[in-house]
Amino acid sequence: MAAPLALQLAVAGLSVGSAAAITGIGLVVCHRATGVLNLAQGAVAMATAFALRQCVVVWHWPRALAVACCVLLLAPGLGFLMDVLVFRRLQRRRAGTAETLVAGLGVFVLLVGAATLLWGTTPYPDAPVVVPATPLGTPDGLLITLDTAVELGLVLLLAAAVGALSRWTAFGTALRAVVDNRRLAELSGIDADAVASTGWAFGAFTAGLTGVLLAPALRLDPYGLPLLVMETLAVAVAAGLRSLPLAIGTALLLGIGQSELTMLHPSGAAQPLLQAVSSGLFVVALLAVALLPGRLAAGLSALPPAPTLSATTAATVTATATSAARTRQIGRRWAAALLLLVPLALRGGDVRSLLPGPGLALILLSIVVVTGYGGQISLGQAGYAGLGALLTGALAGGTIPGLPALPAPAALLLATAVAAPCGLLVGWPAIRRRGLALALTTFAVGTAMSRFVFQQPSLTSGLRLDRTGAWADDRLFYGVELALIAAALLAVHALCRGATGRALGAMRDHEPAAYASGVDVPRLKLLAFTAGAALAALGGGLLGLGAQAFDPNAFDPVLGLLWFAAAVGLGADSASAAVLGAMVLTVLDASTTAGVSAAAIGLLALVRGRLVHGRRAGTGGSTAPVPPEQPPLPVRLSPFGERLVQRLKGVPE
Amino acid sequence: MTLEIALLGARVRHGPLEALHGVDLPVPAGRLTVLLGRNGAGRSTALDALAGAVPLSAGRVHWYGGAPARSGAARDITALGAYARARRGMTLVPAEGAVFPSLTVADHLSRSTPRERAAVLDLFPELGRLLPRSAGTLSGGEQQMLALGVALARPSRLLMLDEPGRGLAPAVLERLHTALAAQVAAGRTVVLAEQSLPSEATAAVDLVHVLHRGSVIFSGEPGEPGLAAISATAAPSPHPAGPGPGRWRPG
Amino acid sequence: MSPSPSPRPNPSPSPAPRLSARALVRRFGGVTALDQVSLDLPPGRITALTGHNGAGKSTLFRCLSGADRPDSGQVLLDGRDITRLPEYTRARLGLARTFQQIAVFPGLSVADNLRVGAEQAGRRGRLEADFAVARTLRLLGLDHLADRHASGLPTGTLRLVELGRALSAEPGVLLLDEPAAGLDRAESEQLAVLLTALAADGLAVLLVEHDRELVDRIADRVLTMSAGRILPAVSTSAASTPAPAPSDGAADDA
Repeated sequence: MAAPLALQLAVAGLSVGSAAAITGIGLVVCHRATGVLNLAQGAVAMATAFALRQCVVVWHWPRALAVACCVLLLAPGLGFLMDVLVFRRLQRRRAGTAETLVAGLGVFVLLVGAATLLWGTTPYPDAPVVVPATPLGTPDGLLITLDTAVELGLVLLLAAAVGALSRWTAFGTALRAVVDNRRLAELSGIDADAVASTGWAFGAFTAGLTGVLLAPALRLDPYGLPLLVMETLAVAVAAGLRSLPLAIGTALLLGIGQSELTMLHPSGAAQPLLQAVSSGLFVVALLAVALLPGRLAAGLSALPPAPTLSATTAATVTATATSAARTRQIGRRWAAALLLLVPLALRGGDVRSLLPGPGLALILLSIVVVTGYGGQISLGQAGYAGLGALLTGALAGGTIPGLPALPAPAALLLATAVAAPCGLLVGWPAIRRRGLALALTTFAVGTAMSRFVFQQPSLTSGLRLDRTGAWADDRLFYGVELALIAAALLAVHALCRGATGRALGAMRDHEPAAYASGVDVPRLKLLAFTAGAALAALGGGLLGLGAQAFDPNAFDPVLGLLWFAAAVGLGADSASAAVLGAMVLTVLDASTTAGVSAAAIGLLALVRGRLVHGRRAGTGGSTAPVPPEQPPLPVRLSPFGERLVQRLKGVPE
Repeated sequence: MTLEIALLGARVRHGPLEALHGVDLPVPAGRLTVLLGRNGAGRSTALDALAGAVPLSAGRVHWYGGAPARSGAARDITALGAYARARRGMTLVPAEGAVFPSLTVADHLSRSTPRERAAVLDLFPELGRLLPRSAGTLSGGEQQMLALGVALARPSRLLMLDEPGRGLAPAVLERLHTALAAQVAAGRTVVLAEQSLPSEATAAVDLVHVLHRGSVIFSGEPGEPGLAAISATAAPSPHPAGPGPGRWRPG
Repeated sequence: MSPSPSPRPNPSPSPAPRLSARALVRRFGGVTALDQVSLDLPPGRITALTGHNGAGKSTLFRCLSGADRPDSGQVLLDGRDITRLPEYTRARLGLARTFQQIAVFPGLSVADNLRVGAEQAGRRGRLEADFAVARTLRLLGLDHLADRHASGLPTGTLRLVELGRALSAEPGVLLLDEPAAGLDRAESEQLAVLLTALAADGLAVLLVEHDRELVDRIADRVLTMSAGRILPAVSTSAASTPAPAPSDGAADDA
């Protein structure tokens, strides 16, 4: 007798749900111990899965030994290193969430880059299976397999272990003390750094475990697995980053729900939509927790209010910077201009490989406008770039009902114009969100666009991105790209100087004070996100036309993270640095193996994250001029006091 | 007379605000020192700077650890964090948030030796029946007793208490002062931060520093006439934010 | 707002208030933070607001500035009901404020900090804004720092930059949240002189401040809040120390 289908599907869904729950446990524990939401979780999962494959498939290690090494040594080791090399320093100088976030993205991008360097971008279908799907039994006809049982068991075991450890051991007491009040814990002689290191190591261990459990079900490549794990952030956020039972419950429910949805077979247009939702239920959940008021606020209110990115990346370059900074800026401008012009002198094949440069430059420029000038974190610019490419293709291909097929130039411009108002999608939520909440919202929107639009065959069929006529010539098309980027730079320059530029700077540097100064902050945010969406869409359209095809992977959300890290690493508030950086990355991509550019970006983001603090805004004493020496206050010392001060100054009694 | 610890030209910034403007603050070893000043004068920040809970933006912290100053044993501990200093024998009980709300009273005592626990319960027997309660559910006075008890029992050289009298009943306060006097007599260095000179303990106080607007404006013994004069302006009035005159001042 | 204050005018008994609060009520959950609070800020006067933590000072301040909205009651600026207007619109109408934790724009130069204030208040023309900025820089003695980035300056200077940002909008009402926090004695002395001079020039000033010394020195009127209400005025002699006349040339002092 077979069990009802719904029950079968529920059991099937437990597998994915358990993997998400393990990651959720790790994220919550790590956040409780360190106050940081580990954005690199997915990258650690991916790296561990790759390492396991290397050990088992390439080096032929015994499977158990390989699993032990990767999950129990490598992954926790990675977490420990992340803490010691990156996050401990940030914590020590009380860096804001924005800065920690950039550092987390830096680690993410660095790991993705390293994995790409080592293993390439070709997906491997042969990730070793850790727990085989041996049927255990069929009570009432319900098939239960070993892997599901083990995964669910691991979830319960981890949750019980964490609970018991924190309740009944000295370390647990220390952990709870640090969670309660880190400052007081340190004053009481509790090594909060050690607690944090343990938190990172544990978080990375769960990431590794998730990675090796999930990998066999996927084709292993450097982008797919990290993205999948990033989507499970929804679980931790829904749990308010605090409650383990809530995180586990949400994860299992989402896993089961995802599985149950496959049971429905509506007809017609709803079918592809339902399929998309069922395969991306975690994205839907992420979008929901990010956009619904309250839930996220409850989860993130525990975090200290973040200064916006200005604190990390602020401003070498308002018009009044020091002469050294000005010289640097002029140097960057010339270098950027030179690099942009070089391809015109190259042979045809080389021109073609550099065609993505201006498009990428425009996308980075969009991040400069939104994040560097406006101070709004946006991890979803890849979504707008993809939208630009998609719309250009759709308009040129005539797939939009009621519209004739347009010539490519007109399609590109119209696509940009249509994509711009879509910036309001994140612009509206951004009015009331900052820091981590905004980062998650923008990431969720970008991921949702990728999952539910770019990867839908029904929406991407019939696109036409081939260049015909004069644009068919690569060199001439590159000239067109140059003209467009020049126009965009001029437009950005016009927008971001003068009163609007200063108002943007005010909003970036101190939002409440900007409000109090009379800056219409909501309007300005919408403006920044609209302009950013338009720039990214134009860039995406150019990328699509350059490649003459629409490739959803070219606008992967992970690439969005990479681009954000690049723009911030290059100095988020410098348009010329963005253009220069985009060209260098394009040259790197064209001339070296894949992964070099990503690794370079990761390093850059990490190094910059540390360097910029020298000129941190507002709080730094280091750059302060020596204040005019004020006459000492009239201190009245008794003879006793005098003796003390003399002793202090080393005068012998 | 030897020094225990000292701030030298210490400046502390909280974001853009500077809370200590280059303060010299010597603390003699084995004595009871009191920091006076009203809210915002920099008392708590000075204690934080001594304990390593805030970083200095300029200046140094020297730790003599009871060694004779002449031997040049001053160690520069400016770069040490709060945890490292706590391990070296410094204890600070902040004025607010001095207990971990989700930990039980027993959890708080779990890091002490049995003898230390006995000492805590000896000083504050009230805590005995509260052992299974989480500290967040205790009254203000009970929380204060817990924080003070744990701190006093810890074998630290230097004990710093920020307004320890807050929320304590007079009888308990008396017990505390007796205990502090005994600790000082036993060679411990104690620093109290107070809004006004605690009358019960005046006799035992060896040194007073008065802070005003982030600077030390008086250092000396409590009996000195200068202190009375300076207290009138710098130390708080009995009603820190008392009823205002509510009238127009003529021209 | 001339640099050199005239001797303090002897105001007529009841000048029309620039900013008024009428029966403001604000509740958070079950707690009534503001309980029928009414308040008038006349031009040329410094009104101080004191009270213990939790007495409702901050809530009142936020309701006046527009950072928060009262549940009932009205806020009037020059007779116009601004209760429902957002904070930035109030600022454009001439209601300026500062923050307890000094709020400047560290990525902008000192002059640009001031320019933001001037421009947002409607002085969009280049000359007009230049003039407002130059005058404020002069008034506060910040000329030599005009092109410096506003990051890393000493506390006292940052406080002046923040004040300058507020003043370059040429407001009619200035709300100050503990402006002497973090200042040393000399700096708060300068601040006292400056505020007295500004008030003498016709500005209506509300000062939330703990430092009784400063309040007693410069405030024309001290209001005390307790449990969400402004206590009825009690005449005491506690604060009758006469304020020293503002020294001439506030700009030089600041």
